[in-house]
Amino acid sequence: MKFDSYHPLINLIYFVASIAFIVSINHPVYVLIAYICMFIYSIKVNGPKQLILNFLLAILTVAYVWYYSFYTHFGITAISTNFIGNNITIESILFGAIRALKIAALVMNLSCLVSIFSTDKIIYLFGRVSPKLSLFISIIVRAVPRFINQFKKINISRCEIGKGIGQGNLLRRFLNFCSVLSIAITWALENFIESAASMKCRGYSLKGRTAYSIYRFDNRDRGVVFSFSLFLIAMFSAISLKQTYFIFDPYIETTAITGISYFFYAIYFIFLLLPFVLQIYAEHKFSRIS
Amino acid sequence: MAHFEIKNLNFSYPTMPDKLALEDINLSIEKGEYVTVFGKSGSGKTTLLKHLKSVLTPHGTTSGEVYFDNKLLSSIDLRDQSSKIGYVMQNPDNQIVTDKVWHELAFGLESLGYDQKTIRLRVAEMASYFGIQGWFNKNVSELSGGQKQLLNLASIMAMQPEVLILDEPTSQLDPIAASDFLNTVRKINLELRTTIIITEHRLEDVLYASDKVVVMDKGKIIACDEPRKIGEYLKKENNEMFSAMPTPVQVYYGVEDKFDKNIECPLTVREGGDFLSTIFEGKDIKEKEIDIPEVRLDEGMNPAIMVKEVWYRYDKNSPDILCGTSFMVPHGKLFAIVGGNGTGKSTMLKSICNICKPYRGEILLDGKRLTKYKDSELFKNYLAMMPQDPQSLFVKKTVKEDLLEMLRGSDADKENKIREIADLCEITDLLDSHPFDLSGGEQQRVGLAKVLLTNPKIILLDEPTKGIDSFFKIKFAEILKKLNEKGVTIVMVSHDVEFCARYADICAMFFNGTVITTNTPNKFFSMNSFYTTAANRMSRHIFSNAINCEDVINLCQKNL
Repeated sequence: MKFDSYHPLINLIYFVASIAFIVSINHPVYVLIAYICMFIYSIKVNGPKQLILNFLLAILTVAYVWYYSFYTHFGITAISTNFIGNNITIESILFGAIRALKIAALVMNLSCLVSIFSTDKIIYLFGRVSPKLSLFISIIVRAVPRFINQFKKINISRCEIGKGIGQGNLLRRFLNFCSVLSIAITWALENFIESAASMKCRGYSLKGRTAYSIYRFDNRDRGVVFSFSLFLIAMFSAISLKQTYFIFDPYIETTAITGISYFFYAIYFIFLLLPFVLQIYAEHKFSRIS
Repeated sequence: MAHFEIKNLNFSYPTMPDKLALEDINLSIEKGEYVTVFGKSGSGKTTLLKHLKSVLTPHGTTSGEVYFDNKLLSSIDLRDQSSKIGYVMQNPDNQIVTDKVWHELAFGLESLGYDQKTIRLRVAEMASYFGIQGWFNKNVSELSGGQKQLLNLASIMAMQPEVLILDEPTSQLDPIAASDFLNTVRKINLELRTTIIITEHRLEDVLYASDKVVVMDKGKIIACDEPRKIGEYLKKENNEMFSAMPTPVQVYYGVEDKFDKNIECPLTVREGGDFLSTIFEGKDIKEKEIDIPEVRLDEGMNPAIMVKEVWYRYDKNSPDILCGTSFMVPHGKLFAIVGGNGTGKSTMLKSICNICKPYRGEILLDGKRLTKYKDSELFKNYLAMMPQDPQSLFVKKTVKEDLLEMLRGSDADKENKIREIADLCEITDLLDSHPFDLSGGEQQRVGLAKVLLTNPKIILLDEPTKGIDSFFKIKFAEILKKLNEKGVTIVMVSHDVEFCARYADICAMFFNGTVITTNTPNKFFSMNSFYTTAANRMSRHIFSNAINCEDVINLCQKNL
C-alpha cells in the first residue's frame, strides 16, 4: 500500500522531480511547503522513529541560521551588530534559514527514498539503461554481504585452532587478522572462477541480453503518471511565470504574490504529498472493505 | 541415434603432458538415458563431463571427437549449447550469480535474449514445477543449501535443455536434501525425457534409477553396463571400488556362493530385504545376532569432556539452540553425534571450544571447568576443532608452508614434525601442491594435519565426511583410529549414519538442542528403525542387530 508498490519508474519520477524542486527553488514559501511536506511524508514512510531524526534536523536548522547570520553579512538591512563588529542582516538570516530548511527537507526526502527504493528497483532501473550493468550491480549486491559472512566464518574456524582475530597479543591479533583477510580474498577469487563458469554455461557472453523484471506497468501506474505530468506542467509554468523568483543580495527582491501564486503553492503542496495521499487513500479503502 | 557420442577421446592437461587425464574414451549415450559416471576422485569423471560442453572444456591436448545430436560438438554455437546442454556443478553457492531467486531463474533466459512475456511464463512454469513459489521473492542468501541447489537446477531447466549434466551435485548437501534433489533429477528424467549424465558418490540414491553405469579409473572407462551387472564386474576384478557399492549389492556378492544364480542383484533396501527373505525362505535361523562385547559407557570416572545441562542461545530474544544438553566423552574414544540439520550439533561443538558461551550449565574438560582455561592454554597442545569447510584454514601457497604456519621452533624440529604428521595423514605427496587445488578428501586430510600440529588431546570434527568419497572415508577412518590409539579423544558431528555406525565407539542422537540417547553404535542403530543404516533396515526382519554389511554377510554365512 506504500508508494513502493508502484512501478519503479513512477518512484523515480517523483524523487527526481521532488529533489530537483527542493534543491533549485529558493522562494521561502515553496521551501517551507517542501519542509512541511517532507516532515509529514517521512514520518508516514518510516514510522514514529523518524521523529527523532526530524527534530534533530530542526535543531540543526536553527543552529545553522544562527551561525550563518553571525558570520555572513551581505545585505543592506542591518538589525544589529555582533561582538566582532559584523552586521547581522535580515537578508543573511533569511538566506541561512532557506538554505538550512532546504537541506533538512532534502535529508528527509532521502530518508524516504532509501526505504522506497529497494535494491531490486535500482537494479531494474539500471536494467532499462543496460542489462549488463544491472546484472553487475546484482552480483555486487550479493557478493559483498557474502564476503563479510565468509570472513566471519573463517575467523571462527581460525579461533578453533587458536588463531582468531581476538586471540593472542596485539601483534598476534594483527597478524591473525591479516591471514583471515588473506584467506577470505583467496576464497573469493577461487569461487569467482566457478561463478564465472556457471555464468558462461548459461550463455552469459551471448549478444542481445535482456533484463527481466517482476514489475508490471498497469493502469494504476498510468493514472499516476498522468497526474504527475499535470503537476509537473503546472510547476514548470510557475517557474516560467517567475513565481519562484527570489533573490537576497543585496536586498530581497521577489515577484508580487497574487491570486495565482496561491494556486501554485497548492499545486506544489499536493505534488509533494501525492505519495502520502495515495497511501492514506489505499489504506482507508482497504480498511473499509475488511 | 545416439544423443551424445564420444569417439576415441584422449586428453592431457598442459601441466602434465605425459599423463593422460582421459584415455581412449568411447561412449554412446541415447536420448532420455540416465547415465551414472562413477569412480574415485581424480579418476577423470569431472574432466570427462567438462568435455561435453565446449565453454567448460579445459585447455590441454585433445584428440578424438565428441558428437552431440550427430553434429560435432565444437561446431555447435554457444547459443545452442547454452540452452540445450545444462550443467550443474558441485558447490550450490558458487553457481548462483544474482541476489534474488526470481532473477536467478531468469538469468539464462536473459542471456538468450527472450522478451519479458516469455521469461515471465517460463519462470512461472519452473517455479511451479520445482515448488519454488514459496521462496520466489526471497534473497538467495536466505536459502538452505538444498534449496540453493534446487534453484540451480531449476534455473538451468528454465532454458529447457535436452541433456542435463550433473557433477557431484549433492556432495555439499545433507542426506535428506540430497535425496530430495536426486528424486527431482529422476522426476525430470522420467517426465521430460531429459538425458541425465551424473557423477555421484551416493550410489544408493542413483544406481536404481540409472540405465547405464560407467566406471572410470585413472582416466579410462573400465566398465560400462547396466547397474545390476556392475557389481559383478567389480567383484570379479576384486576392485576396491566395490566398497562404494550400495549395501544390498555388497551383501548379495558377499553370500554369492550360498544361493542359486537366478536371483537378480538387489539395488535398493526393499529389494535387499526381499532378497534376504528369499534366500532364508523355509530355513531355520539359528543365529539371529552377532556377539558384541558388552561395553560399559560410564567407564572411568574422569571423562575427557563432560557437558552438564548446557543452555545456549545466540541472542537474548532468540530461541534456545541448546536446551540442557548433557553427555560425557571418555578418553581416547571416537564419539559421534548424529542428528538432522539445524538441531544445534555444530553449536554444541562450538561451545566445547568456548566460541559459543553457554548461559547456563557447565562444560568440564578433564575435570576442569572450561571457563577456567585461558585461550592460550586451551588451544595449545590441548583442544582443536576442524571446521566444516577446511578451506577456511588454508593461508599459504603450498600445503607445506601452510603446515609450517602452525609451528614454532628450529627448522629441523619443524621438518620432523611435519614429516611425521604428513605420514600419519598420508599427505606426503601433496606437500608441494596449492591447498585449493586439492580434492575435497585431500583438503580434509590437510585440514586435519593442520589441526593435529597443535598437538591436541581432544579433536572436534564438524561434518568431516561431507563431500568425500567412500575410499577417502576409509582412509580417514584409519587415521582417526590411529589417533585414538595414541590416546586422542575425538568428537565428531555428522549426518553420515553409515560412517558413524562403522567407525564410532559411541554414538549419540542429537535432537532439538539436546542429546536424546547415547549408546554403542550397535545398540544405538539396532534400536532405531528409521534413523539407521541401510544394512540394518534391510536385515532387521531376520537379524536383530546387524548394522554393517559385514555383520549381515557374517550372519548369512553362519546360517546358510
